[in-house]
Formats: sequence, structure tokens, C-alpha cells
Amino acid sequence: MKQKEFDNIFDECLERILDGETLEQCLARYPEQAAELKPLLETVLAVKEASAVEPRPEFKARARYQFRSALQEKVAPQRRPFFGWLPRWATALAIVLVVLLAGGGTVAAASNSMPDSILYPVKLATENVQLALTTSDLDKARLCANFADRRVTEIIYMAERGDARRVEEITERLDDRLETLVVLVSELEANGAGEAEAMLSLPDGDADVAPTEPPAVVEDGGRGRGRHGQPRNRAGLKLVVAGSAANNPAVLRAMLKDVPQSVRGALMEAIEVSEEGYARVLATLE
Amino acid sequence: MPSEESLVRRAQKNDQEAFAQLYEEHFDKIYRYLALRVGNEMEAEDMTQQVFLKALQSISSFRWKGVPFSAWLFRIAHNQAVDHLRKKKKRSSVPLDDSLVASGDSPHAATELKMDIERLLKATKRLTEAQREVISLRFSSELSIAQVAKVMGKSEGAIKALQHSAVVALRRTMLVTEQ
Repeated sequence: MKQKEFDNIFDECLERILDGETLEQCLARYPEQAAELKPLLETVLAVKEASAVEPRPEFKARARYQFRSALQEKVAPQRRPFFGWLPRWATALAIVLVVLLAGGGTVAAASNSMPDSILYPVKLATENVQLALTTSDLDKARLCANFADRRVTEIIYMAERGDARRVEEITERLDDRLETLVVLVSELEANGAGEAEAMLSLPDGDADVAPTEPPAVVEDGGRGRGRHGQPRNRAGLKLVVAGSAANNPAVLRAMLKDVPQSVRGALMEAIEVSEEGYARVLATLE
Repeated sequence: MPSEESLVRRAQKNDQEAFAQLYEEHFDKIYRYLALRVGNEMEAEDMTQQVFLKALQSISSFRWKGVPFSAWLFRIAHNQAVDHLRKKKKRSSVPLDDSLVASGDSPHAATELKMDIERLLKATKRLTEAQREVISLRFSSELSIAQVAKVMGKSEGAIKALQHSAVVALRRTMLVTEQ
């Protein structure tokens, strides 16, 4: 047999093996060449098995977060409708000034606003300011977990109103919050902030975070929580996230049968994002 | 599901969702390719991130001229690997990191797998540069013959020949190691 012909048979078997066919099945197709093919295909299998390395989940989460940050930097000039002409520090300052001038009442009202409200951008801006002003990674993680809960509440609200476009937008924000949470938890791990973490220093006025949380059913007996039921340490954070992981996707799934057909696709995407996102956070917290 | 071409066109117009989808589709494959080429987890991680940041910076320069996006991306990874290995030749003797194994394996299975990777990395050192490239792209990143041909700028026939000679050489080297 010519070498070229054998090469073609070998390549065909190799493709089949890479597609999941067994060695025996391949050899049975070419009994005359089986003796020559067998050792080569065994080598292919060994190489394939040995090279099946997977990136570490925490590295993937960090890389994804950094890539998305770079992506946002790249597209920022097209996507900043209000403060696009201002440098970052000026944007932050402008938000703080708006918040101060508008007074606590506006901020409190905004904290309960939904995505179809005129105050919703203030709610998002306030969240970003809260995160920016928070120094501890554990505090930031706790805020992110809380903001993720808010996004789920907003998805429910918009899905009930049949607004698929907004459900998709909020799902993206939910994904971002959960990604940020994974990164923060990874950093907690890397910095050795664990069970011995001291009491959280809850910023004043933080009570406005709580009202829009979706119903939580997980009972933890108060372990790992401080005042307002907020997590005091990593174990407390894990309990909170585990509660959200158990409840949020389930609540979204339960809505599927009641929402308009036009929203179901977007809602399915939200369920998937929440399930995968919370699973990643919990895996990083393990 | 949108085609790769439409995703790339959208990404070139700064569509974040399209960019993110391209990233997710190729991330693991690029990582595996680099892990096998450089044999060091931390370096493979850094380089994987660099590949995607470079792609982000230069995607506007990508043109559809019979070369798929994946081939373009692997070309960036290939250049990174070649530069890295040229600069850090001595690093080839750095022991493989413990965590450069498939996640979720039992400790015993992980140890066995680590030995397999080490053996594989050792064996691939005896291959030519082109053979090593084919092995990484075909078996680690699971590209088709046609895709590998595009990445390496060679004919499909040439890739098949390289693949065959590489497998024969690996078989020989691994047999010698076993004995």
C-alpha cells in the first residue's frame, strides 16, 4: 500500500477517534491495516488524554473580568451617554455631587426604583459609588452579592411586564456583578482573608441596600452574620451566596410558565446566567 | 447561533456581546495550546490573557481573506509562544506545575495525568518545531486539519504528513521512555 493511502486511512481513523469513536471500532474498519494503525492510534489517544489540561476556574474568572474591563474601556466612548465627555474621576465626582445635591430622599427613592424608572440610572450610579468608596474586598463582595439580588428582582419585575429587551440588559448586569463577585472572592482567598476576618464595617446609610432583596428561604441561624443580617466574614458571605444561589434561579424558573411567550427566551438566558454565575462564586468560595 | 463571521463583524463594530462570545468560544483552546507549548501553568495563563488583549486591540485590522478568525487568533498565540520560548529557552527545564492537570480529577488520577503531561512534554521536545505545532493544535486545541493548515500557512496534505511523522516520532520516544 502506498504511504499516501495509509496516511489518509490514518487521518480518517484519527478524526473518528477525536469525534469519540473507540479504537476497536476504528481498527475494525481497516482490518488489513489494523496492526500498523493500532500503535499510532494508541499514541494519539495518550497524547489527547495527556493534553486535556483545563484552565483553573479562578484564573478563568479573573481573566474574564479583566477582558471585560478592557472591552468596556475600548467601547466606552460610544457607550457613555451622559458623562462620556468627562474623565473618570470627574464622572465619579459628578455623581457624588448629584447625590449630595439631590439629597438622601432621592437616593433612597432611587434605591427602590426599577429599570423603567427615571431614577434607575441614579440607582446604578449610587451602587458604583458605594463600591468605589468601599475599601475592604469582603465588604465589596457583600455589596456585589446584594446588588446581584437586586438585579434578579428587576428581572422578575421586567419579565412580568413582558419587556424582553430590558430583561436581557439586566441579565448582562447580573452577569457582571457575579463575575466581579468571583474576582473579589478569589482575591479574598489570595490575600488570606478567611474565617478570622473581623466584623464588617458597614457604611452608614447602607440600610438602603436591603429592601429590594428577593425572598430568601435559607436558614442559617444567624451564623456568620452581623447586624441587618449582613455577613461578617467569608463563612457568612458563603451562606448569603448559597441562599441566593438556591433561591434566585428557582424563583426565575418558577416564573417561566406565567410570563408572555416573547420574554421566555430572555428569561431562560437569565436563569442560565444566574445558575452558572452563582455556581462559579460558590466554587471559588469552597 | 450567529456565524463566526457575523460575530467578528459585530465585534469589529465594538459590539461587546459579540466580543464576549468569541472570547468564550476560544479561551480554553488557546489556553490548552499555550500550556502544551510552554509547559508552565502561570506562563500559559499570562500569555492567554495577552493573546485576547492583543486580539481586542487589533481586531479592526482583521480581514476575511479565506483565513478564519480562529486561525488568526491562534496565529497571535503562536507568535506569543515563539517569542516567549526564544527569550526564555532555559525555562523548558522548569518543572511542571502541580495544577497543570485537568480539574476535578482524584489525586491519584491527577498524579498519573501529571506524569503523562510531563512525559508528553519531554517527548515533544524531540519533535521539530512544525511537528510540535501540529500536535498542540490538533490534539490539545482540537482544530481540524483545515484549520491547522490555515494557522500554519501550509497545505492540508503537508499538515497530514507532519501529523503522521509527529505521531510516529512520539510513539518511538514514548516507547524508549517506557523501556
